This record gives sequence, C-alpha cells and structure tokens, in this order.
Amino acid sequence: MSANVSSKLSAAVPAVEIRGLVKDFSSGLRGLKLRAVDHLTLRVEAGQVYGLLGPNGSGKSTTIKALLGLLEPTAGECAIFGVPSGRVEARREVGYLPESPYFYRHLSGRELVRFYARMCGMGGATLESRIDEVLALVGLTAAADRRVGTYSKGMLQRIGLAQALVHDPRLLILDEPTAGVDPLGTAAITELILQLKARGKTVLITSHLLGQIEDVCDRVAILDRGKLILEGAVSDLVGRADRQALVVEALPENELAELRAWLAARGRKLETVETPRTRLDRIFLERVGKKDA
Amino acid sequence: MNTVPFSLRRALLIAQNTLLEAARQKLLLFFLLLALGLVVGARWLRDFSFGAPELKFLADCGFGAMAFFGAALAIAATAQLFFSEIENRTALTLLAKPVWRAEFILGKFLGVVAVAAFFCALLTLLLMAVLRWREGELMREFPEAFAQGGVVSYGMVALGGLLQWLKLAVLVALSLLVASFAQTQLFTIVTGFFVFVICHLQYLAQDAYTRAGSWFAQNVGGGLASVFPNFQLFALADSLNAADAPPTAHVVRVALYAAGYCAVACALAVYCFRKREI
Repeated sequence: MSANVSSKLSAAVPAVEIRGLVKDFSSGLRGLKLRAVDHLTLRVEAGQVYGLLGPNGSGKSTTIKALLGLLEPTAGECAIFGVPSGRVEARREVGYLPESPYFYRHLSGRELVRFYARMCGMGGATLESRIDEVLALVGLTAAADRRVGTYSKGMLQRIGLAQALVHDPRLLILDEPTAGVDPLGTAAITELILQLKARGKTVLITSHLLGQIEDVCDRVAILDRGKLILEGAVSDLVGRADRQALVVEALPENELAELRAWLAARGRKLETVETPRTRLDRIFLERVGKKDA
Repeated sequence: MNTVPFSLRRALLIAQNTLLEAARQKLLLFFLLLALGLVVGARWLRDFSFGAPELKFLADCGFGAMAFFGAALAIAATAQLFFSEIENRTALTLLAKPVWRAEFILGKFLGVVAVAAFFCALLTLLLMAVLRWREGELMREFPEAFAQGGVVSYGMVALGGLLQWLKLAVLVALSLLVASFAQTQLFTIVTGFFVFVICHLQYLAQDAYTRAGSWFAQNVGGGLASVFPNFQLFALADSLNAADAPPTAHVVRVALYAAGYCAVACALAVYCFRKREI
C-alpha cells in the first residue's frame, strides 16, 4: 500500500468514535440503577478541537472514562483511532489530563513527567530533552525540581498537561482543564490548545465553562443528564447568518437618525445600537500579563 | 494494529515508584523504628527469657519483631499503597496510559515485596550485629562455656531472615488479592490480619479436622490447607547451631511453596482487578 493511500485511509478513521454508549451505576442496597450516559453517539474527526459540554453530573467524565477503558460500558462501543477502547493499544496515542488531577506527591515535577514518559515506552537519549521541552511548554521549568505536593492548583494542571503531552500523542483528552485555574492560567491553556490544533493534534475537551470552550472548539456536543441534546460546529450554533454587526466610531444623534432613514429607504431596520464592551478577563490579562512580563 | 505486549519493564517502573513512595512516607520508618527498638532492646529484656539461653532469646526477639512488625508493615503498606492510587486518582492517569492492569498489580506487588526485603535485610543485619556483640561479651565472661568456639551460626540467622521475607511476600500477595476487590483500605487491613492469623494457625486447623475422621471434616481441612498457606513452614528450628540447619532441598521447597502462593494470589488479584471501575 502506498504512503499516500495509507495516509488517506488513516485520515478517514475518526480520532474518537462513540456508538450508543450507555453507562449505568448501581446505587444503594437494592442496586437501583443510575444512568450516567444514555445512548450517546459521537464522532470526533482527526485534527478537530471538540468540546464536550454540559452541567455537572451530565455524564462528561463518565464518557471520557469509558472512552479510555477505565469504565466498562453497560452497552455501546467506543473506539480511539479505530481501536476498541477496551484494548491497551487504544491508549497508545492518547494523552489524558483528568479532572482535578492528583499526582504522586512524593515525586518532583521532572520525576513525574519522566515516570509517565517511560510508562509510554520512551527512553534513550531523547527522553531528557523531551521532558525539558514539555516542562518549558507548560511554563514549569523553574519549578521542575520541586515536589508535586508543593504545587498550586494551576501548577498541578500544568504538570498534568506536561505528562499528557510528553509522548507526543495524536489525541489529547482534557477533562475540565481550566476548572479552578486563574485567568492567566486559563489563557495559557487556551493558547496551548490552539498551538496543538495548529500542529494537527486532535483535542477533546470537557467543560462546564461554555464561554472558554467557545473560543477554541471547532465542534461541540452538549450533554444533559447523560443525553446528547445538541451537536454541531460552533460557528453554526452561535452565529446568525441573517444578521450583521457594524462597529463604527460614536455617531451623534442626528447622524444616527440619518442612518436609520437611509436603511429604511432600503427596507432595512437598525435593530440595536449599543456600546461595544470588552471582557473582564481580557482587561485582567492585559494588566496582570503586562505586569508579569 | 500494533499490539502492546505485557511489559516487565513497565511493571518494574511501577514497583520502583511504589518503593520510592513507601520510602518517602513515614509508615516504613515507623515500623522500622519499632522493630529496631525491639531488636536492640532485647538485651535488656532478659528477665522475660523464661530460662532460655540468652543468645537464643535474643534471636527469638529479633525474628519475633521481624514477623510481627513485618506482617503489620506488609499488610498496611499493601493496603495503603494500593488504595492511595485509587483514592488519590493517580491510578486514573496511570491506567489511561498503555498499561496492562496486570502490570499495575505486579508492579504494586514487587514494590511492596521490595519494601519487605529492605525491612528484613536491615533487621537481619542488626540482629546479627547484636548477637555478635553479645556472643563476644559472653565469650570473654565465660571462656570455658565457649571452648569449642562461637555457638551462633550467622548463616542460620541469614536464612531465618530470608524465610521471614518469603513469608511476608506471600502475605503481601494475599493482601493485594483482598485489596483488588475490597472497597476500603480498612477492610483490606482487617482481612489481611485475619488471613495472617489463619495462616499461622492453619496447621492446627488441618490437624484437628483430619483427626475428626469424618469425610466432610477431612475435606474441609484439606480445602483450608490448600487455600491458606502454612506460615509455620517459614519458621526455623529452635536452634542457632549450624548443625541444625534445614537441608537445602527443604529451603528450596519452601521457596517454591511461597512462589506458588504468590503467583496464584497475584493472578487472582489481576482477575478481580481487570474490570474494576477506576
């Protein structure tokens, strides 16, 4: 098989495929079933940034665990790059950052990343340089030799990203990557996701912070009580093709009236006039980011 | 699709991490200090020797400390190091890598067995040092009683330490089997101690049942004898003399007996853990 045909075939295989996934948990002595995921079907194409959204308890983390083979599905199938999730092989091309990550507190950041790299089969002369590279990528070079037990929440999230990235996986699964992280950390994670996307990586993110996800995702799926209630491209879901916004310098009242009349003569209507607002997180990043720089 | 074969290297990495975690915790140090205290302090506990020769009494104290605190360490360390992975959710990150669950179980087993090896080796060396020191003192005080030379065989002491370690390895494997399906650390520790006691009394139960004579009692006795290992096999004869050393074939048989129980208990632990939801 030629390299061209082979690459076309591998491109056709979705990074993630979930078909009819059901996960029930038993609760109480009578074994009452609690359905965490209810007939979920999803497909994430290679190279996409895909957001799995929903409120707490909507089944996002359960879906991720089933996808990684950490939970046995009650029904349905999951596959990563065409390999069924129950197989160890499925996890070879995956980097995973769990929700509220806890790591071995007795190890230093560098030892932790080295441990996970070696668990993924890495070794030899390139190992140490790769560890340095990912530690620099997540901004933890200075704290690399400190024990993980002394890290802040944001630093734990970043060392979690480093261990997920160290073996250069094709698929990155981030479970609530920005939960509890300050705006600077959130911006850094967002920037990193965009860099990974530019390098052709597939990223699957779960979050309940919809605004943050909107900025980075190509497609999103929204879950509620285990069921898929909405799925599609972000641009299709949030954009309105029949409306446009024009931003102009502030107009005096008489010119605004002329504009309304001009539009009315053409059968159009000026719906709203408002002052554009920036976002608090942008102001924070501008001020705090500059100070830190 | 390229397969990911079972890797002893990954299991050893998990073992190394488990050993490092144990070494950096206070649990190992706590049991070690207690046991060291008993070995060193045995010199001043001679009033409780009930007429046994002093050097024999010192050796009994040393092996007793190794057996009791070693068992406590083996059970507590297995439960703690296993459940810390589950409760701290570090297992989540680890098992999301291309790692077999069998590698995880084997790694945990080897890690705690290494902790037990360190414990037994240190205590054996200390016991040898205490015996050597006291034997020297006694030889100077009562040269006529030691006209034939020293009475302590240090090879026997080392063998005693090795047998204690083998026993602890079996106890670690059995505790790991309990941990693989238990929901709490406390349940694992309590059950582990029950198993430890049963294994020490197994020969009595077997004896009592076989004497009962009935087919049912004999089969229950036989069943118990097969399920629970006999920890009395790991005890040395009541002598420190090289002439009373057990034959090599016996030691090899005991080592194989321990290896067999470890292999079966670890295999069952892998079976119980394979579908466990993390």
